Amino acid sequence: MVLLNVDGVECRYGSVKVLEDVSLSVKEGDFVGILGPNGSGKTTLLKSISRTLKPYRGTILLDKADIYTLKGIDIAKQLAVVPQDGSVGFSFAALDVVLMGRNPHLRRFQMESEKDMAIARKVMNLTNTWHLAERPINELSGGERQRVIIARALAQEPKILLLDEPITHLDIINQLEIMDLVMDLCVKEGLIVLSVLHDLNLAARYCKSAIMLKNGKIFSAGGIAEVLTSENIKSVFNVDAIVKKHLVTNSIFVIPFSPQKSPPSRKCSIHLICGAGTGTALMKILLDEGYSVTAGVLNVLDTDFETAQFLKIPVTTEAPFSPITEKTHKDNLVMINKACTVVLTSVPFGYGNLQNLEAAREALEREIPVFVVEEVPIERRDFTQGKAKKLLTELKNKGAVFVKNQNELLSLLNVSEEKLKIAKEETAKFLDHLKPEKIHKENTITGKSEKT
Amino acid sequence: MSKSEVESTYSKRASRWKLIIFLLIIALVVTVIASLNVGYYGISFEDILKILGKQIPFLNTFVDYTPKLPGDPAVLLLVRLPRIIAGVLVGAALAASGVLFQGIFRNPMADPFVIGVSSGASVGAALATLFAAGFAFFGIGAIQIAAFASALITIFFVYNISRVGSRVPVMTLLLSGLAVTFFSSAIVTLLQFLSGKELFAIVAWLAGGFSNVNWLAIWAITPFILIGTVAAYFYARDLNLLALGEDTAQNLGVDIERVKKILLFLGSMVTAAAVSISGLIGFVGLIIPHMTRLVIGPDHRILLPTSTIIGAIFLVVCDDVARMMTGSIMGSLQLPVGVVTALSGAPFFVYLLRRKKTRYAL
Repeated sequence: MVLLNVDGVECRYGSVKVLEDVSLSVKEGDFVGILGPNGSGKTTLLKSISRTLKPYRGTILLDKADIYTLKGIDIAKQLAVVPQDGSVGFSFAALDVVLMGRNPHLRRFQMESEKDMAIARKVMNLTNTWHLAERPINELSGGERQRVIIARALAQEPKILLLDEPITHLDIINQLEIMDLVMDLCVKEGLIVLSVLHDLNLAARYCKSAIMLKNGKIFSAGGIAEVLTSENIKSVFNVDAIVKKHLVTNSIFVIPFSPQKSPPSRKCSIHLICGAGTGTALMKILLDEGYSVTAGVLNVLDTDFETAQFLKIPVTTEAPFSPITEKTHKDNLVMINKACTVVLTSVPFGYGNLQNLEAAREALEREIPVFVVEEVPIERRDFTQGKAKKLLTELKNKGAVFVKNQNELLSLLNVSEEKLKIAKEETAKFLDHLKPEKIHKENTITGKSEKT
Repeated sequence: MSKSEVESTYSKRASRWKLIIFLLIIALVVTVIASLNVGYYGISFEDILKILGKQIPFLNTFVDYTPKLPGDPAVLLLVRLPRIIAGVLVGAALAASGVLFQGIFRNPMADPFVIGVSSGASVGAALATLFAAGFAFFGIGAIQIAAFASALITIFFVYNISRVGSRVPVMTLLLSGLAVTFFSSAIVTLLQFLSGKELFAIVAWLAGGFSNVNWLAIWAITPFILIGTVAAYFYARDLNLLALGEDTAQNLGVDIERVKKILLFLGSMVTAAAVSISGLIGFVGLIIPHMTRLVIGPDHRILLPTSTIIGAIFLVVCDDVARMMTGSIMGSLQLPVGVVTALSGAPFFVYLLRRKKTRYAL
C-alpha cells in the first residue's frame, strides 16, 4: 500500500510564506485535485512533494520515509511530475524524450534495453503518441507535446503522478482522453494522482477528492462534492457559481459568473413582477447596480424563483403550478409597499398569475411608479381572452411608464453602458426562445401596420 | 508484438555510435599525419612516417631512415608535431566545453567563453606579457601560467557571485559572467593602451594561434584536457535530461546542483587549459557543437565525443590553412588561426542551417 503523507508543510520563497500548515494524506488509487486561484500555492505544494522546493517546516513522507532523506533517483522510480511548462531545450525526438523517463531505472553507462523500449512504446500507445516517435519534440503542437511529456512521466512507471495543470494546452477531446487515461490508471493500477486543475468542471468530473487552497492554506479538503460548493468557490475564488449534479455524467458541475464589482450603494428597492425566466437577467443586473430587489408572486420551481433563490432575493411565493391565492396576493402587496419602484416584465399571463397585474395596478394607486417592459406585445402573451390586455391598458391610463425593452428601462434607471449590452443579448436570446411560429406571422402583420 | 522500424533503429544505436566514433578517430589520425606535410618546405609522406616510426620503441629497429636534410626530424618533431598536437587538444577542448556549456545553459548562444574564462585569461596573459614576458617556471612560459591561473580565478569569482545558498541559477551565472567579461575586457583594453611596444604581442595573443607552442607547454595542459573531457562524458545522459528543464531533470533523478557544479568546473578547466596555450580562438566552441548537433542529433552521449573529435580535426585543418598562408601569402607574418576558423566555418555553418532549417530548433 503506497501512502503519501504531507504533514504541516510550510514553504517560503526567501522570507515570503507561500504555503502554510498544509497537511494531507493520500493513498493508492486516489485522484486528488488541487484547486485554488493563481498564487494560492498549488504549484508550490507540488514542488515540495517533488523535492524541488524543500519545505521550511513540516515533513513529506512516502511510505513512512522522509522524501528529503531519500536519494533523488530512488524517488524518481516512484514519483513522476508533469510540469506546467513542457518545453524541451534541443530538438530531441519524441521517443528520446519518453526514453528519458527510463533514466531512474538505468545505471550510468547503461543503454536503454529492449524492455525500456517496450515500456516506451506501451506508454506512447496509451497517450496516442507512438506515431510521433521520430518527430522532433519542438515541432509538435502544444497538445501533442504535452501528451509526449505525459508519456515520459508514465515511462518512469511511477506509483505517484503529480500533474501541474496538465491539460491547459489541450483541446477538449485531448483533455478528456488524457484525464480518462489518468483516471483509468488510478482505478486499475492504483496510481496516486495529485493534479493542479484550473478547470473546476474537469476537477468535479474526475477527482475523487480535492483540496482547495487559499493564500497558501488549505481552505477546504475532502470529497470533491464537499469541497466544490458554491460557498467555497465564492470565498476562495470570489466568484459566484452554481454547483449542481449533472444528470448525464452523474458528477457535479460548476457554472461560474463574472466576478461582482462592489456595487454603488443605492437606497432604492425595486420589486419585480416576472416569471418564466423573464426576470432572471434583470435581477442580476439590478443587484450589481446596487439596488435591493424583491420579486413576486412567483411559483416555486419557476426559473425566476430559482434565480432569486440563488441571488438571495426575497420572493413572495406560491406553490408549484398553482394559481395565486388571496393570501399570497396580500403578501405581495406588502412587499410592493416597501419598494420605491415596480417593474413588470414581459411575462406571459394566464389565469394563474393574472392577479400580479392587479398588484401592479394597486401599486400605481398607492403612487408607487410602475415600469412596464413590453418586449413582447401583450397580444402574444395574453392567455386570458383579453383580460390581461385590458388590465395593462388600465395600467397605462393610470400612468405606468411603458418601455420597449430592458435597455430602455435600465437607461431610465441610470445604469451604466456595459450592463446594457449584456441585457440586450439576454433579451434577444429569450425572445427567440419564446417565439412560436404562429405568433411570428402576426408579428409581421403588426409590423406592417405600424409602418403605415 | 512485431518490432517496428523505429525500434530496430534505436536498438542498433549503440553499435552505430561506436562505429561513428571509430571512424572519426581514424579521420583525426589521418588529418594529423597529412598536416605534418604542410609547411615551409616539403617533407615527403614516406619520410614523415619513417621519422614517426623512429620515435616508437621496438618499432624503431625496423625503420631504416636517413634524413635527406639533417634538419628534417627536428622540424617535424619539434616544430610541426607540437603545433598540430596543440591544435588537436585545443580544438577538442573548446568543442567539448562548448557542448557542456550549451547543455548546462540550454542556450544556443552559450560557448566556452560565456562565463568569462576567456576574458579572465586575457587579463592574466596581458599582465604577464607586460611584466613577466621573459620568465618561465620549469620551462613553462609565464604567459601560459598567468592565463590559466587568472581564467580559473575569474570562474571561481563568477561562480561565487552567482551562488544563492547551495544553488547556482544559470541565468544569474550568465549575467554575472557577462558583467565580469565586460570588466576584464576593459582592463585588457587599458593594458593595451599602456603597453607601448608590447601592444603587438598582446593583440597577437588575443587573436589566438599556436606559433609559440612547445612540447613542455603541451604536456602541461594535456592532463587537464584529457581528464576534463573524459570525466564530462560520465554526465552525458544528465545533460540530455537537463534539456527538459532543471526541475524535470531533478524529478528524473539528476542531482542537478551537483551535476551543474561539476560540469561548470570541468568545462572551465578544459577551456582555461586550452586558452592558456592558444590565446582566444573563437567560433570553434560555439559552432562545432551546433554543426555536430545538426548532423548527429542532440543526444549528448554521441554529441559530446563526436563534437570533441570534430573540433580537433577542424582546428588542425584551420591551422594548416593558417600555416600555408603564412608561407605563401603573408610572408613572415603569422595569420591568426582564429581568423581562419571563422572565415571557413561560418559559411559552412550557414549552409547547414539553411539546409536543415525546418528541423533545427533550439
